[in-house]
Amino acid sequence: MSEEVRFESGRFEGIVVRSPLVSPARLADVLHKRFAGTESYFGGEPAVLDFSEVRDWPEQVDWSGLVAFFRRLGLQPIGVRGVPESFDAALKRLHLANLDEAALRLEAARPTEPPPAAPTSAQAPASPQTGTARAASTKFIDRPVRAGQQIYAPEGDVVLMAGSNPGAEIIAAGSIHCWGPLRGRVLAGAGGNLEARIVATHFGPELVSIAGVYQTFENGLPASIANRPVQVKLQVIQGQSHLLIEPIETI
Amino acid sequence: MRIVVVTSGKGGVGKTTTSAAFASGLALRGFKTAVVDFDVGLRNLDLIMGCERRVVYDFVNVLQGEAKLTQALIKDKHVDTLHILPASQTKDKEALTEEGVEKVMRELEAMGFDYVVCDSPAGIERGALMALLFADEAIVVTNPEVSSVRDSDRILGILQSKSRRAIEGREPVKEHLLVTRYSAKRVEEGEMLSYKDIQELLRVPLIGVIPESDAVLHASNQGVPAIHLKGTDVAEAYADVVARFLGEDKPLRFVSYEKPSLIKRLFGST
Repeated sequence: MSEEVRFESGRFEGIVVRSPLVSPARLADVLHKRFAGTESYFGGEPAVLDFSEVRDWPEQVDWSGLVAFFRRLGLQPIGVRGVPESFDAALKRLHLANLDEAALRLEAARPTEPPPAAPTSAQAPASPQTGTARAASTKFIDRPVRAGQQIYAPEGDVVLMAGSNPGAEIIAAGSIHCWGPLRGRVLAGAGGNLEARIVATHFGPELVSIAGVYQTFENGLPASIANRPVQVKLQVIQGQSHLLIEPIETI
Repeated sequence: MRIVVVTSGKGGVGKTTTSAAFASGLALRGFKTAVVDFDVGLRNLDLIMGCERRVVYDFVNVLQGEAKLTQALIKDKHVDTLHILPASQTKDKEALTEEGVEKVMRELEAMGFDYVVCDSPAGIERGALMALLFADEAIVVTNPEVSSVRDSDRILGILQSKSRRAIEGREPVKEHLLVTRYSAKRVEEGEMLSYKDIQELLRVPLIGVIPESDAVLHASNQGVPAIHLKGTDVAEAYADVVARFLGEDKPLRFVSYEKPSLIKRLFGST
């Protein structure tokens, strides 16, 4: 086998976190609701922490606390952006690159808006996030998704060939298709894809969400859709988005 | 050698009763069988097997090199081909290490055992993970109630991700669903989930339904595995489970309820 070491120019995908806050404690407060204590929400993607929106920089920043916080969410911070030079030494100690200006040409960044994790109201009309969906491979899951299991497709669709059970969580940037019972928490269009849909042969989840617009079914499902073929899509009426949950008419 | 874990997530559903009866049933069929108690700190398999007075060394002693496996294995008083490896009541459950458990399993295989039945503790902590780690097959014990079914679902998920077979990407652990403490009468009256409901929720092949019975309590108090209670529905149901496990075709019994006839109601059942 060749032992030649090669250095190639390459591009890789990651997540950009735009934060107006630099205090780990404040971040934890703000993000707690969104992730509701879900450890490792992300799947170990590299991340750049963008602090260009920070107004008043404190004298001291707890960089290691910040890194630890984002690691707990399942991200791997590799660098920061928009940070004053006075912090360079501190960043170096943590092996974080200060990627200002040219080093990082951010493409039309797609916001990775995570779905709400702990909804309190039944229907939450919200302004959906826009985003560009890319062609990506489909994830097929052949076994039932069980309580406590999470299927996460950061790109593309998820097809559940054996359904999901109460307590499961399915998150896809694209659409979610389900053969068999659909239970648990089902979040499609997680990257902001407004066109994403949820399609199921036996509908019965605890929560559905498309591009961050979600609905829970605390009082059970109406008979017209419970355990029947159903599709869920996003409908925009006068700038307000609503989930349209309707039975699929089969011939 | 096949390693079978008896697990459930939830406590008090009948794991140890099932482990004792199932292991005894395999041994009665002539298979050299060991039943291992993974509930370190709360041992009770030895009580149900009626050998608590014969425990000298335990599983943790073996893991820590203080005793040989042959010294710790207790020969069952009912069936010659059955051996019990009791848990420790005094040791910490941290004593269960992956390397230690693997070594014991290898040794059991070298000793010519056909089956090892691992009696898992409740929960999803270390003891439960160690019990399922090396499993080839799993009997998931479930009661006909929603919380038990949900916990079983959780443990099935863990089997699919944390077992050696899953980690190494081998053929997945073969799963069997066992419904215990089943009362056909209460199902009929709508107070309990039916075994069909449970199977529909968990979507795992059903290996048997064990009826709720006072005989189980008597058996465990006397230290006799339930399968030895000749003539009881519980013993027959467990014998059916063993038969189905070995690939025999047995129709389900004790799952339908017939209203007692007028005469029976007047004069009491016999």
